[in-house]
Amino acid sequence: MPVQGRYFFPRSTRFAAARASATAGGGLRIEDEAGTVLADVSRKDISVSPRLGNLARRLGFSDGSHFETTDNDGVDELTRALRLRVAGNVLHMLERSWRWALASVAVAILASYLFIVFGIPAVAKTLADRTPASVTAVISRQTLDFLDRTITGPTKLSAAEQTRALGLFRNVARHAPRGEHGYALKFRDGGPIGANAFALPDGTIVMTDQIWKLTRNDEEVEGVFGHEMSHVNHAHGLQSIYQASMIPAVIALITGDISQVSQMATVLPGVLVESSYARGFEQQADDDSAKLMLSMGAKPSHLADLLERLEAADCGKGGCAQGWLGSHPDTDVRAAKLRAETPK
Amino acid sequence: MSEAGTQAPSEAPQQIAPMRHEFQFTGTGGEFFGIWIVNLALTVVTLGIYSAWATVRTRRYFRGNTLLDGHSFEYHASPVRILVGRLIALGLLIGYNVSVSFSIYALIVWVPIFFAAFPWLITSSLRFNARNTSYRNVRFNFVGTYGGAFKAYVLWPLAGIFTLGLLVPLARRAADYYYVNHHTFGGRPFETKFTAWQIYAIFLIGFAIAVIMAIIGAVFFGGVLVAAMPHGSAGGQMAPAMVPTFILLVALAEMAFIGLALAIATMVFNLVVAHTVLDGKHELGAALSPVTVPWIMITNILLTLITLGIFYPWAQVRIARYRIEHLSLTAKGSLDDFTSEAFGTQSAVGEEIAGFFDLDFGL
Repeated sequence: MPVQGRYFFPRSTRFAAARASATAGGGLRIEDEAGTVLADVSRKDISVSPRLGNLARRLGFSDGSHFETTDNDGVDELTRALRLRVAGNVLHMLERSWRWALASVAVAILASYLFIVFGIPAVAKTLADRTPASVTAVISRQTLDFLDRTITGPTKLSAAEQTRALGLFRNVARHAPRGEHGYALKFRDGGPIGANAFALPDGTIVMTDQIWKLTRNDEEVEGVFGHEMSHVNHAHGLQSIYQASMIPAVIALITGDISQVSQMATVLPGVLVESSYARGFEQQADDDSAKLMLSMGAKPSHLADLLERLEAADCGKGGCAQGWLGSHPDTDVRAAKLRAETPK
Repeated sequence: MSEAGTQAPSEAPQQIAPMRHEFQFTGTGGEFFGIWIVNLALTVVTLGIYSAWATVRTRRYFRGNTLLDGHSFEYHASPVRILVGRLIALGLLIGYNVSVSFSIYALIVWVPIFFAAFPWLITSSLRFNARNTSYRNVRFNFVGTYGGAFKAYVLWPLAGIFTLGLLVPLARRAADYYYVNHHTFGGRPFETKFTAWQIYAIFLIGFAIAVIMAIIGAVFFGGVLVAAMPHGSAGGQMAPAMVPTFILLVALAEMAFIGLALAIATMVFNLVVAHTVLDGKHELGAALSPVTVPWIMITNILLTLITLGIFYPWAQVRIARYRIEHLSLTAKGSLDDFTSEAFGTQSAVGEEIAGFFDLDFGL
């Protein structure tokens, strides 16, 4: 059965209505409607475009001419007769079937889920564990410089208060994995970030005057230190950097286009994924801090008290400000968990 | 070779009446959904490797369903070459992200690199896409140079910024000239030409509408803000009940300005295309509505968000169909006498890398 279509002359927009058929010798013959042979092509000089939707198929010939037809089934028959290898017929079958489309939706969701829940965190953790100490030192120094120039100010705590805080800090550090000299405490005025504490990757822990003022006893302070030391021990800061670097790259790779629609639709998921990683880290830091406090004979419930006071301080009538609680899980949940870990 | 399709012994070849051809789009959302979802699934499963094949299939689908005078466009790029470029670009993207989060000073290194590489990326990318697109067996090409791209995409925008926007319309025209006037089909040039006044007129209309929108917004928003504030309290907090209303208003305002930007872009597109001539005689035409395009784009975004992305393939087909079906070509003379140039053997290193960045301009 000849296939009806158009023959385009070599390298030209000029064409003729034509039909293509397999010859007995295993080649392809192109004839015009009057039966004049336009071309005889040997099978090794033919390249067939993969089937896609209802697009016209193209049989390209090595001299720059080609035969084009919308008779997709005819082309498939022809290529079978000529024993030509055509890529992508399986793909076309997948793309046309609603069952496979549904399966694809499921696979895409499942694989994305696995990748987001296990893949990215595992890669980030591997990279964070292998980041040399010299690099973490540079990052930490620059982060602190940056904060000092933009947000935080010099501490206003008295020398006596600082000495007392340092004493507590050293005591907690002795019970923590890196030991007494594995961590360093710095005091800052929190400015717009208010009552806050954060850990830098090299073991530096920054405490704002405001959070110190908010604490009511030593055990609350120890709880905060334990929490931040846990961030240091697990390199949570570095992991966040790697995670945040990977998410846009992964989204760009998957969607494959950087158009407005896809960009707007992917910003939100990116933010959600990042904050869910952050919540995981906070939970881990709380758990570690509770264990550390117990090992020192302190009560984790004190940290819970402080969390609730922080929330009350951060959250006015108009909603919560971005403080130590900003990226953290629900305070109620955290406080309840800490209290549950406290022996009666 | 043969007699078929050749011109008859001509009495007066230039006397052929001009033939106006409308562009057609034959793709459908349902069909593209199948392609898109399989692309997505295979891309995720192969950790992104398949994305290069996905890109080629998507482009083939849209070009192949674009018809002019009963003939479709074709896309021929090799997925392997796109993949290579994409992997290099991905490495650069991760390197950039990581180094900048380590130290903000890394920008001192990256920004000059980016500015220097940008014109090269644009040129390579345009060339890659043009050469891999054909119509009626003849390839397009792009012959712009690095210097030209540097002028059009770096110097002109800078001039626009330093003149506080006064030269932005001319900068836009420079970019459009660079884009259109360096494309060729079968070695014959595309050329567009219009006066500075024509493009300034569009931007002036846009500016006037923006001012009117801002005034309306200020009156309206002002009222809402006053209503929301507790009376007599200086610098007091907004009543919590008004917060959702406020957010909704901001979102509406943002949408209005995105719509205006799209409307201006559409008018410029019409202007550029309607003044484009191929081979000095075949005239392109564009009649996109500056109201319909923003409407389609914004509803596309909303529907895509509401359906958690499922609407995306229909959205793509919807906007492609509208744009393509409002283009035309008025052929003055036969379209049979174009022939391909020979450029199959040149080095492709730049194209491979630039292929990823997919700096798709214009259409």
